[in-house]
Amino acid sequence: MTELAVGTRIEPYVVSAVDAEKMKLMAALLQDPNPIHYDVEVVRALHYGDRPINQGPINMAWFMTCAVRFAGGRERLLRTQMRFLGNVFAGERFVAEGTVTAVDAAAGTAELEIACSADGRPVLAGTATIAIG
Amino acid sequence: MAASDYSHLVGRRLPGGTYTLPDYVNWLWEDAILSAHDGDPTHPSLGYHIAIAGLGVSIGEVMALLDGSPDSGVMFGENELEFRGSLRTGATYECEGEITGVERKQGKRAGVFDKLTFRIEVRERGSLTPTVVCTNTWIFPRKADSGD
Repeated sequence: MTELAVGTRIEPYVVSAVDAEKMKLMAALLQDPNPIHYDVEVVRALHYGDRPINQGPINMAWFMTCAVRFAGGRERLLRTQMRFLGNVFAGERFVAEGTVTAVDAAAGTAELEIACSADGRPVLAGTATIAIG
Repeated sequence: MAASDYSHLVGRRLPGGTYTLPDYVNWLWEDAILSAHDGDPTHPSLGYHIAIAGLGVSIGEVMALLDGSPDSGVMFGENELEFRGSLRTGATYECEGEITGVERKQGKRAGVFDKLTFRIEVRERGSLTPTVVCTNTWIFPRKADSGD
């Protein structure tokens, strides 16, 4: 891991084009009956747009992947807290990036602020606590 | 802002249950989230899946508590996951959930909506300490002219 200091930038995690097929797989895994993830007609009828909408848990996972890569391992992620600000549509470019906002050497933890965008639009924002040292 | 018609749900315990994480689900989950197939410890986002899968009610049944349906536009609002250990394939997890909040809100773009918050504790079988605590807030849009 990069030497930590407040303000250290976290390497962005980028998904170049959100894949609608993965949404179908996630719907099956979650037993999620919400058709906005696989039926474009429902998305249109709800006036949400004209492409399938990515599941919140996939966006959440990408937020976490950004933190995990920076932390240097899955087991180093201690806590995440995030707000969903907007929909992520199939085909969009998703980017998760952030900065270190606090370092507690005594506790062996650091706080990260992470923001995610889809085609430049804010879609998810929150914080992560990671183990350091 | 009027109180939600569903505020009586606060404090209701969800049935709870157990969930054993199979290898193939871990693999497919990693595939769906574009993660490397790294085995254990699993990707932390599975904390959400295990919590929901072991809750004893389906996503559709949770929606139905607030008269939401799969095609009514229910959306994720917020999520918090606290990890006190790693999640492993093959392990059995015991889940206990409770509704901790229901609020009626109004936004400029979103209109009138209800916010449901529920908290789930996930313990590996035999452990007293939760491995994961998962708190979710879901948004239930309400039609402005329905009086909901």
